[in-house]
Amino acid sequence: MMLETLIYVILNLAFVILISPLVMMLTRKVKALAQGRVGPPLLQGYFNLFKLLHKEIIYSPNASFITRLAPYLSFGFVMGAAAMVPVVFIPSGGLTGNIILFLYLLVSAKFFMALTGLDAGSTFGGMGASREMSLSAIMEPVTITAVAALAFVLKTIEIPQMFALTTAGSLAQYPTLILIALSLFIVLIVETARIPVDNPETHLELTMIHEAMTLEQTGPKLALMELSHGVKQTVLMALLINIIFPWGLATELSFSGVLLSLVSFAVKAAVLAVVIGIFESVLAKIRLFRLPSFMTLALFFSFATIVFELLA
Amino acid sequence: MILGLFLTGGVFLLLAAIAAVFGRETSGLKRRQASLLLIITGCLAWLISSGLILAADSSLYLELYQLTPSLTISFHLDRLAAFFILIIALVAVCVAIYSFKYMEHSGTNRQRNFMAAAMASFILAMALTVASANFFSFIFFWEIMSLSSLFLVLYERDHAETPKAGIYYLVMTQFSTLFLLLGALLLNLYTGTLDITAAEGLLPVNAGIIFLVFLVGFGTKAGVMPFHKWLPFAHAAAPSNISALMSGVMLKVAIYGLVRLILDVMTPELWWGMVLLGFGTVSAVLGVIYALKEHDLKKSLAYHSIENIGIIVIGLGLFIIFSVFDLRVLAELSLFGALFHTLNHAIFKSLLFMTAGSVVVATHTRNIEDMGGLVKRMPGTAIIFLIGAAAISALPPLNGFASESMLFQAFLGAFQLPSQVVAILLFVALAAYALMSALAAAWLVRVFGAVFLALPRSTSAEHAHEAPRVMLIGPGILAGICVVLGIFSYQIIRGIGLELPLPDLLPISLIIIIVIFGAVLAVRRTKTPVRISETWACGIHRQTAKMEYTASGFSEPIITIFSPIFRTRKTAQRKFADKARAIVTGGKGEIHSLQFFEEHIYLPIAKLTYRIAGFVSRLHNVDLDAFILYTFVLIVIMVAVAGWWL
Repeated sequence: MMLETLIYVILNLAFVILISPLVMMLTRKVKALAQGRVGPPLLQGYFNLFKLLHKEIIYSPNASFITRLAPYLSFGFVMGAAAMVPVVFIPSGGLTGNIILFLYLLVSAKFFMALTGLDAGSTFGGMGASREMSLSAIMEPVTITAVAALAFVLKTIEIPQMFALTTAGSLAQYPTLILIALSLFIVLIVETARIPVDNPETHLELTMIHEAMTLEQTGPKLALMELSHGVKQTVLMALLINIIFPWGLATELSFSGVLLSLVSFAVKAAVLAVVIGIFESVLAKIRLFRLPSFMTLALFFSFATIVFELLA
Repeated sequence: MILGLFLTGGVFLLLAAIAAVFGRETSGLKRRQASLLLIITGCLAWLISSGLILAADSSLYLELYQLTPSLTISFHLDRLAAFFILIIALVAVCVAIYSFKYMEHSGTNRQRNFMAAAMASFILAMALTVASANFFSFIFFWEIMSLSSLFLVLYERDHAETPKAGIYYLVMTQFSTLFLLLGALLLNLYTGTLDITAAEGLLPVNAGIIFLVFLVGFGTKAGVMPFHKWLPFAHAAAPSNISALMSGVMLKVAIYGLVRLILDVMTPELWWGMVLLGFGTVSAVLGVIYALKEHDLKKSLAYHSIENIGIIVIGLGLFIIFSVFDLRVLAELSLFGALFHTLNHAIFKSLLFMTAGSVVVATHTRNIEDMGGLVKRMPGTAIIFLIGAAAISALPPLNGFASESMLFQAFLGAFQLPSQVVAILLFVALAAYALMSALAAAWLVRVFGAVFLALPRSTSAEHAHEAPRVMLIGPGILAGICVVLGIFSYQIIRGIGLELPLPDLLPISLIIIIVIFGAVLAVRRTKTPVRISETWACGIHRQTAKMEYTASGFSEPIITIFSPIFRTRKTAQRKFADKARAIVTGGKGEIHSLQFFEEHIYLPIAKLTYRIAGFVSRLHNVDLDAFILYTFVLIVIMVAVAGWWL
C-alpha cells in the first residue's frame, strides 16, 4: 500500500505539472481564434517556462525574504493540494483526500502570493493583494457550500472516494450533481482568475487582480508562480471533470488503466479548456463591486442542491 | 505525587506574588526576576501534574479550607480541569519568559514589582478557578482573577485611553460575576448544593433560565457578542504580556465554565445548542469584520479573539445539537474541535500579543498605518508573528487549521440530522463560518503586510530594532508548538485515544516539503544571476512609502462589499479653484464605521441607568426621617415579596 501511494503521488504530480501549461495554452488559443487571431502555438506554455528558467532574477531593494520564499511555498502548497485529487488512478487509502484540507491548501498558496504583492511596496501589488483577498473572502462561503452540497449528495468528504462513487455509479443516480457542477464551474472561473472576474491577459491597472500580485517576480521565480497557477487550474478542473464525467478514471494501479486515465483526462481537460475559452470569449469583465452577485449565483445553486436533497 | 506537584505549583506562585512586593526597594530587578523564575517553576510543576492527570485519566480531590459548613474552598481536578490548567501553565511559562525583558521597558521600579506580583496572583487565581470543586470557591477565585487583572489593565495609567478601558472592564467584569452568582444561587435553590455536580430533576423552564443566566455571565467574560465591548479596550490598554495572558488564558477560564456547565452540570436541550450556535456565529463573523477595519494593532488582535471565542462557542453549540439527536461521532468531533481550538487559540493568541508587544515597544505606536518595513528590522519577530498569524487564519498544516477543520467536518455531517429545519440552519451557519475563515485570511495579509512588509511609514518604524532574545524565546516556543500541534494533529489525537475521522496532515506536509526542496534545487541548478534593482514604479525613480498600499486601502473593498452589515458613512469634500468647479485644489475623504452595539445597546442602557441614578440621588437629598421611612417601606415590600414567593 505504501508503494502504491508513492507511485500514485509521483505519477499524479508529474502528470499534472506536465499537462498544466498545455491546458492553459489551449484556452488562450480558443480565445484568440474567437477574436479572429491566430494565437500562440499550443506548446508556447512550455517555451515560456523554459525561457523564464534561464532569465535573470531581479528583486526590488524593498523586497524581503517573503518575495524570495513565496514562490516556493506557493508552489509547494498547490502541489500538496494536487496530490489529493486523483487523476491517474484512485489510490486505496494511505493518503488523505479531505476536501476541506484541499481547499485550504489552495488558500495557503494564495496567501503567500498576496504577501508577495505587498512585499515590495508597489501600488499594483497592494491593489492585487487587496482585491484577491476580498474576492476570496466572498468566494469562500460559496465554495464551502458547494463542497457541503457535494458531501451531502455523495455522503463523503474524501475526494478519492467521491471519484470512486461517481465512477461506479452514473449521473442518473445523482441528478443534483449537475447543479453542483454549475457552482463548481463558477468556483473554477473565480479561483483561476478568468473573465468575467479577472482578465489573465492584461496588465492594465484597472482590471488586474491576480497578475498584479506576481508583477514583482522574475525569472525562475515567476516560472514557479505561473506553473503553480496552471497546476491550480488543472486540479480544480480535474475535480469538476471527475465528479461529473468520471469515465476512464482507473480505480486501481495497472499499466493499461493508468494509460487510459491519462489519455481520457487529457481529452476531457482539453474539452473543458475549450469550453472555458468560449465562455471567456462571450463575456465581458464585470466590475469589481458587481462580482458578489455573480458569486451569489453559485451559492444559490449549491443551496438549492442541499434543499433538494433534504426534501427528496 | 500529582497532588504534591499541584500544591507545589500553587505555593510557588504564591511565593512569587509575595516575593515581588516585600523587601527593599533597591533590589527591585533581582526580586522581579526571582518572582518570574518562581512563576516559571510553579507553572512547570502544574504542567507536569496536569499532564499526568490527562495521561492517567485520574482525578484529584482536595479540601483546603472550610469557612462555614456549607461554604468550603475545595478543589477537584479531573481531565477537563487538568486540560485547562495545562493551557494556563503552558502560556504562563512563555509569557513569564517574555516578561523578563518586556517588563523593564516602562514604569518605575515599584510599578514593575507590582506588575510581577499582580501577574503571579492573576495566574494563580485563574488556575484555582478552574480547579474549584464548588461555586463558592469558583466565584471567589473568579473575583480575585478579575480584580488582579483589573489592576494590570490600569498599569499604564498615564495613557489617555487607560481609565476608559479600566471602567469598561470593571463594569463588565462585575456584570459577569453578578450573573454567575445569580446562576449559582438559582442552582442552589433547586438542588440544595453549591458543588459543581450534576443538577438533576430540574424543570426544563428552570434549567433554561439557569443556562441563560450562566451564558450571560460566562459570555461576558469570554467576550461573546454583544457582551464583548470591554475586550478591545482592555486588551489594548494593558501591557502586552498581560494582554497575552488575558486573551490567551483568561477568556478560556470562562469557556471552561461553559463547557463544565453543559457537560457535567446540566442536561442540554436542542434550543441551547441553537442559542450557542447563533451567538457563536455572530461573534465569529462580526469579530473578524471589526478586526479588519481596526488600525490599532492590539485592538485588532482583541477583535480577532472575539472571533475565535465565537468558533469555540459554535463548537459547543454543535456538540449540544448533535448530542440531542444522538449522533455520537459528530458530537465528539465538535466538542473536541472546540476544546482543541481552545488550546490552539491560547497558544497563538498569546504569541501574537507578545510579538505585537515587541513591535509596539520598538515603534512606540500601536497604529499599524505608522509601521511597515519591520520585516527587515525585526526578522525574528516577523517570522514568529507570521507563524502565529498563519495558524490563527487556519492555514494548513498549522494547528489552527487542525481544530477548525474538525468543526468543518462536524458541519458537513449535518445531513445526518433527522430534522430538516435544523440541517438547513446548520448549512447557513456553515456558510457564515466559511466567510469568517476567509476573512481571517484577509485579516492576516492585511496586518502582516501593513506592519512588516514594504517601506516604513514613519520615522519611529524606520529606527526600530529587533527585540531582545528572551522576548523572542517566549513566543518562539509557542510558534514551535503551533507547527508541531498542526502537522502531528492526527497522531496526537489518536495518541490520546480518540477515534475521530480526521485528515492526516503528516503525509501532505511531507509532500509539500519534498516539493519545495525539489523546486529550490531546480532553481539553484539553473544558476540564474540575481540582481537587486528598482522595479517598475510607474515611471518614478524611487519607490517611497507614500506609494504603497495602506491598511485602510487594503480592507476598503471588503468594507464596501459588506457595507450593509458594516454600516459605514463616507464623506468626501473637495475644494475648487474656480466657480465652474472644474479645477480641484484639494479635499479630503473620510470613512466612518458606525458602532452598532455601542449606539443601540450600550448607550441606551447607560442612559437609562443614568436617569435612574439621577432619580435616586434626588431621593437621597433629604433628612434622616425620610431615610427611615424608605427603609421601612423597603422592608415591608421585601417581606411581602418573600411571603408570596416562598
